[in-house]
Amino acid sequence: MTQATGSGAIGGGQVEVAGVTKRFGETVAVKELSLTIPHGSYCCLLGPSGCGKTTILRMIAGHENPTTGDVRIGGRSVVGLPQVERGTAMMFQSYALFPHRSVLDNVAFALKVRGIGLPARHNQARELLAKVQLEKFANRLPAELSGGQQQRVALARALITNPRVLLLDEPLSALDEYLRLRMRGELRRVQKELGITFVHVTHTQLEAIAVADMVVVMAQGRIEQAASARDIFVAPRNAYVARFVGGQNVLSGTVESTMNGMAAVASDKGARFAFPVGEIRPARGAKLYGSIRRDRIGVEKMLPGAKPAGGLNTTVGEVHTLENQGSYVKVTIDLDNGEEFVAHVPDDTFFRNPLDIGDKVEARWSASDVKLLDDGPIAFEAAAVEARAASAD
Amino acid sequence: MHSADGSRPWTFYFFAAFFGLFVAFLYGPMVVIYVLSFQGPTGGMTFPLNGVSLHWFDALISQSRVGDIAGSFQRSIVLAAVVAVVTVLVSVLAGLAFRRPFRGSAFAFYLAIASLIMPGLFVGLGIALTFRLLGLPTGWYSSGLGAQLTWTLPFGLLIMFAVLGRFNRSYEEAATDLGATNWQKLKEVTIPMLLPGIIGVALFGFTLSYDEIARTALAAGAKNTLPLEIWAMTTNVTSPTLYAVGAVTTIVSFFVIVVALTSIGAIQRRRSRSNT
Ligand SMILES: Nc1ncnc2c1ncn2[C@@H]1O[C@H](COP(=O)(O)OP(=O)(O)OP(=O)(O)O)[C@@H](O)[C@H]1O
Ligand SMILES: [Mg+2]
Repeated sequence: MTQATGSGAIGGGQVEVAGVTKRFGETVAVKELSLTIPHGSYCCLLGPSGCGKTTILRMIAGHENPTTGDVRIGGRSVVGLPQVERGTAMMFQSYALFPHRSVLDNVAFALKVRGIGLPARHNQARELLAKVQLEKFANRLPAELSGGQQQRVALARALITNPRVLLLDEPLSALDEYLRLRMRGELRRVQKELGITFVHVTHTQLEAIAVADMVVVMAQGRIEQAASARDIFVAPRNAYVARFVGGQNVLSGTVESTMNGMAAVASDKGARFAFPVGEIRPARGAKLYGSIRRDRIGVEKMLPGAKPAGGLNTTVGEVHTLENQGSYVKVTIDLDNGEEFVAHVPDDTFFRNPLDIGDKVEARWSASDVKLLDDGPIAFEAAAVEARAASAD
Repeated sequence: MHSADGSRPWTFYFFAAFFGLFVAFLYGPMVVIYVLSFQGPTGGMTFPLNGVSLHWFDALISQSRVGDIAGSFQRSIVLAAVVAVVTVLVSVLAGLAFRRPFRGSAFAFYLAIASLIMPGLFVGLGIALTFRLLGLPTGWYSSGLGAQLTWTLPFGLLIMFAVLGRFNRSYEEAATDLGATNWQKLKEVTIPMLLPGIIGVALFGFTLSYDEIARTALAAGAKNTLPLEIWAMTTNVTSPTLYAVGAVTTIVSFFVIVVALTSIGAIQRRRSRSNT
């Protein structure tokens, strides 16, 4: 691609959000939030509706200013700078393609307002359209394109200024399932090719995990966990992340004893689990939370009248739903205490000895697969350690 | 909806009759006037037609005793055009300004809209009195223009509110994001996208001005606008010339409306040519 304005040369595309709070009147959309997105990485902001994802994106883009705190791009504070000087570009949720301009003129718009002549800007726009396989549609109006094509035009239009950071607000939500899967791969490919920073807002857990280097899970204006996509999935920090990202069951219980880095924990219903606790020595009676991956659980049918084998790391319930997902079967179990427990059983294992809805089953897992979550007294302990460290310096 | 035996419910006949009456009241008299404007030279102001001719249209141009039709027509067209332009300028800018809440915006809005409910005749009277008080000469281009704007501006503003209410802010943000200055954003994105609505405001301003009587009557000064001239003629002209005036002025109105609607239609079509 030809350098249009050379904004890529200003500096790296590292995005830092430093202690930012954003209020809209009474509403606090973003609370004391700090986040560093490394240059050239693909970052997904993930969270439920209204948690402040769009607000963060808009503050990076300069469409909103933080109430307090700083936003830095490439190491330089950009608060109050016009959009052009930030080296960011935004792809809007509804694409916001100008309906009165052709596809070519939409893509060339940024060059037009920079005073670049017609032939030059059309040439560059054509090159970019070719990159997204839309050169045939250059003279159409946006309304004459399909959703997927419009999305690619929006991408081309945002990229023509050679931004160092591309901000995407739910870029795939307007597409159908098939296109969504294809386009997310496409976005990832473009990001790798350009080597710039992408910040992508989404509601969809699997979308975030599929494309991102770094996933930021948010709740109510705060970050619950910022980590690699793999860590978010296999090592959620707390019960909120484990539940929101899915793929995990959350266990809880009170500590009975601790030995050799393992805590014996009893749930309210009397089931007994072992949690690996490492160096932490939780007090007897403290409440602990742990997570266990859905695909690390074995499910066995209990014969009628049989007593549960009991023992460590099992729980008993009734099969509520069965969903065949092809390579595995999703078994949802209603536990005796009314909670839901989900196991992903590999298809060959499942069909060797199939279950039925309503079957009494026992789920079992290995203690070493359990991850201790940062909730309950553990969280307080961690906070106390932080506070001590802060007061020490 | 059809009932089981295929007959329609009585409400259908009731509303059909009502609609028929409405159409008859609206178009019947106009048709009568157009037909009578082609009255033969010896015919009178009522049926029957004594032959068919363009005599009264000719009289309209040549006779001076029918009054100053040509002059008032020119004044009305100029005035309507000026009103349309001023209405568009002010209501587009005000509409854009009102999108951002500012201190006293609600008060300013109601203050502007209030003139819609004031009796027009008194608005005109008040303007004329004020001009006299200040020692300024009244005229169609000064006090008359002002009187008409008290009527068209609130309308224009209300239309712009409706138009802007459906206008998604993200288009403008996209323009800013791509590096457009405020001026470029307005020129390249906002105005072109609002154009159908803006043409609507211009059309409204033009037609409201073109047949305004109540506010203009006392504020127009010595020279009449076309509606005032026609009003005067109804009391002292007793020939089908009057009908010829009616026919010509209606054609002008129609022409303006057709031009406006076709340009709006062309813009909409250009934007939404379907995929087929
Ligand atoms: N311009 C605004 N004025 C007032 N409140 C706002 C404004 N923008 C956002 N908010 C509030 O801030 C909070 C966060 O909004 P935001 O749009 O960032 O959420 P989001 O995470 O993007 O949600 P969604 O997934 O539904 O798009 C919400 O409570 C919202 O109502
Ligand atoms: Mg949002």
